[in-house]
Amino acid sequence: MKNTVFFCTFACLCLTPLCAQTGGIPEGYTPIFNGKDIKGWHVSRTNHHGTTMSARVENGILAIEQNPIGEGGILLTDKRYKDFELYLENKPDWGCDGGIFLRSNEEGNAYQITIDYLIRNTVGSLITEGIPNMSGTGPRRPPDWQKIWKRDEWNSFRVRMTGEAPHITAWMNDQPIIDFTDGQNHALGGVRDGMIALQLHFTNDTTPRNIPHGTHRFRNIAIKELN
Amino acid sequence: MLGTKVLIGVLSVAGLLAAQPKTQTNSIGMEFVLAPAGSFTMGKFAPTCAPVGYQDNVTEAQRAECLKMAAAAARPGFRATVPRAFYIGKFEVTQEQYRKVMGTNPSYFTQDKVGEPTDQYPVDSIAWKDAQAFIQKLNAMERTKVYRLPTEVEWEYAARAGTEDEFQGAKRQEVAWYQNNSKFATHPTGKLKPNAWGIYDMLGNVWEWVQDWYDEQVQPRGPKGPANGTVHVLRGGAFNSHEKNIRVSVHAGGPGSVINTGFRVVRDIK
Repeated sequence: MKNTVFFCTFACLCLTPLCAQTGGIPEGYTPIFNGKDIKGWHVSRTNHHGTTMSARVENGILAIEQNPIGEGGILLTDKRYKDFELYLENKPDWGCDGGIFLRSNEEGNAYQITIDYLIRNTVGSLITEGIPNMSGTGPRRPPDWQKIWKRDEWNSFRVRMTGEAPHITAWMNDQPIIDFTDGQNHALGGVRDGMIALQLHFTNDTTPRNIPHGTHRFRNIAIKELN
Repeated sequence: MLGTKVLIGVLSVAGLLAAQPKTQTNSIGMEFVLAPAGSFTMGKFAPTCAPVGYQDNVTEAQRAECLKMAAAAARPGFRATVPRAFYIGKFEVTQEQYRKVMGTNPSYFTQDKVGEPTDQYPVDSIAWKDAQAFIQKLNAMERTKVYRLPTEVEWEYAARAGTEDEFQGAKRQEVAWYQNNSKFATHPTGKLKPNAWGIYDMLGNVWEWVQDWYDEQVQPRGPKGPANGTVHVLRGGAFNSHEKNIRVSVHAGGPGSVINTGFRVVRDIK
């Protein structure tokens, strides 16, 4: 019931100009990816998904791929963010597990919105990665992500994160998918800020969460700091 | 004549080593374990591929391509040699030891965080230059030059302690504090099982700085690290690490996540 009210409320809000906007950075956001290179970003050297992934930029698109095979990783912003709204567009290959890390540390302990674009998995689910489980309330995933997702096209994410015990709200292709407030701050060390990271999962003989040459593409990555 | 001299030299070195005690304790109560001279295989890299149909996510073509790419990326590794015996810290440097030398304790995990005195916890929140400053001061205190960080080769050699697998011949949770058993905090040093040479916490608890620069490679390409770089190598994983980072071969680099970085000290035999 609570979920129904939440999604109805946001369905109405989506009639506003901001929600109606697709394919581009919304007004009031500052780009954090320059479309030419990864200046302002770096690959983690301690993340368990890998430390040597390929992050190349072509035609304004950031493409992350395993390098060598099996070794994914996370691409972190150099800057840390406290309260913010993040906007980005994503187009992955089918069969690839990725994600958006929020308030991440260097090793990738973070809140995460999944882009697990493979069979029996979910795009747009709020989970924790390497930090204690969340204890709060509110919708944490879309009821049916495939109804919102545009296969083989660009998909937009807008994520708002505020508060000590974070309140995370997110929209995928302008549809509300998450409105969750954690019971406490579960970030490692109780930090109130952290980096944003783009993730590509590792693979091995028992973890087939990516395909050979599988790529997650991102563009129009921008942020609005709220503090 | 030359042969005799060489023989005498070899016997002298052998005699010196035979005379070395297996453990030593220094002026601040830091315990060391003797690591004998020897060699091991380092730098091996062998990606693996899931079978066709595994979790409904691997086609025949994908597995064939994965195997081809894995074969191209695989590295046999190289033989790394430790020509002389050395002493290595039995434990990670503790908060008490750090305070005794530096007069301060930069650690995040202090009594207000863990609910008990943390003298025997590993010092954390250590940058590579902090470890160097500690070593410099420890050498000065004892009017010696024997203390230093381990090289990456020495670190892995001591971590393996003669074992060939990735976990010191034990289960991870028996030897390491990591994501699955640490409750997201460091723990007092020496509470879990030591490795075959009696060294504790080489895996987990805090990442450990070594002397070498980091080379941005998935595994080291040779026994000597690059001549320079931007960050140094971190080894062993930490209390917050995923199990994949809790392996003796994991070759990582700084800066780390600050609250999970520490070190252990090597003492040369002069």
